[in-house]
Amino acid sequence: MSAYRDEDEDPRLHGIKTKIRVVPHFPKSGIMFQDITTLLLDPKAFKDTIDLFVERYKGKNINVVAGIEARGFIFGPPIALAIGAKFVPLRKPKKLPGKVISQEYILEYGRDCLEMHVGAVEAGERALVVDDLIATGGTLCAAMDLLERVGAEVVECACVIELPELKGRERLNGKPLYVLVEYLEV
Amino acid sequence: MQSSVGVCSSSSSNWLFRFSAAAASLLPSSLTFPISKSSSSSSLITLSTPSLIPSPLRSTASASDSSHVTVMASNDAQDPRLPRISSAIRVIPDFPKPGIMFQDITTLLLDTKAFKDTIDLFVERYRDQNISVVAGVEARGFIFGPPIALAIGAKFVPMRKPNKLPGEVISEEYSLEYGTDKMEMHVGAVQAGDRALVIDDLIATGGTLCAAIKLLERVGAEVVECACVIELPELKGREKLTGKPLFVLVKGA
Repeated sequence: MSAYRDEDEDPRLHGIKTKIRVVPHFPKSGIMFQDITTLLLDPKAFKDTIDLFVERYKGKNINVVAGIEARGFIFGPPIALAIGAKFVPLRKPKKLPGKVISQEYILEYGRDCLEMHVGAVEAGERALVVDDLIATGGTLCAAMDLLERVGAEVVECACVIELPELKGRERLNGKPLYVLVEYLEV
Repeated sequence: MQSSVGVCSSSSSNWLFRFSAAAASLLPSSLTFPISKSSSSSSLITLSTPSLIPSPLRSTASASDSSHVTVMASNDAQDPRLPRISSAIRVIPDFPKPGIMFQDITTLLLDTKAFKDTIDLFVERYRDQNISVVAGVEARGFIFGPPIALAIGAKFVPMRKPNKLPGEVISEEYSLEYGTDKMEMHVGAVQAGDRALVIDDLIATGGTLCAAIKLLERVGAEVVECACVIELPELKGREKLTGKPLFVLVKGA
């Protein structure tokens, strides 16, 4: 059985939690995949999701929302548009044309790489990193590295879902993490 | 709601990148004018699709030279937001391979006004059209589709490369220049009778959009229109859309 933790919470969160679908054994055995596509099929729940982030970050002088390919591209742009920030896609290798900087990171087996356009983010800019979910934190950590390498300040990482048992929060070099929903296996 | 209170600590990395000439690489170059707002100006197939938009849309002649602005018909006013959108798009030569002039929309996303205007232009067109589904093609369709969906109150449905969507999917194969690829959609995401838009950043040959149209129609949805920021008219993708209308903001040479 699995459960989403309840704390004193915004009334919109219940609707959001119930819309996330758990798909067992995807992409491989033993993984309970958190599928946010069902959330996107509920216009109110999707809007509430975005609103919760926007309410948190509006008026905080955020210049950049960096979204991690590909599901970070779904949540990042609406937030960026609402708070008046640039949207910067962080992508898998060879997708971004022109000059990029790369950050390698460790996977369970092997490595991967995240890229960002040179010139997209400037020193001194205040940035958020957005993805649908934080698991081990490796991808978010790579994203933060890219932003910090160009002198930006990562204000916070924001995800819809956290898998706390994987302790990704601890990999963020002390940067704060804000999530709407935690998924725990009970 | 889980929240973490913390002080943002500065990174242990002391790198600062200097941009010098690299900054110039992000200077956008203009696409050719004109900016067309016609949805089906060159459609050769007449279907019984009802006229979508009450306000008149006019086609404009194409210019092949980016050094001058095409003269518009005197009663055809180009939306004043379009020039800034067009000039915010960066063209990268020879990417991903020699001979291809890649239309890079990431520079548009760095211009907050131009990005907002881009979304607004689509939202204004579709908000009263009873659209129930916005289908966005991975990955750049994920950037434009959701803001449109949210503004018009539609579901957002991601159309993905193989093996990315968990659970039950339907697949549509389509041709590439060399070989084939596949696009997938979740079973149950779209219902028969849903009125759908297909969104992507750009239409080239139309193969990808065509696959998306087919997936939606296979489950009984009505594809009302395809909408892209950019069209490459020379590749004639518009003709591959099985008669569906296409709406674009900007045409590239």
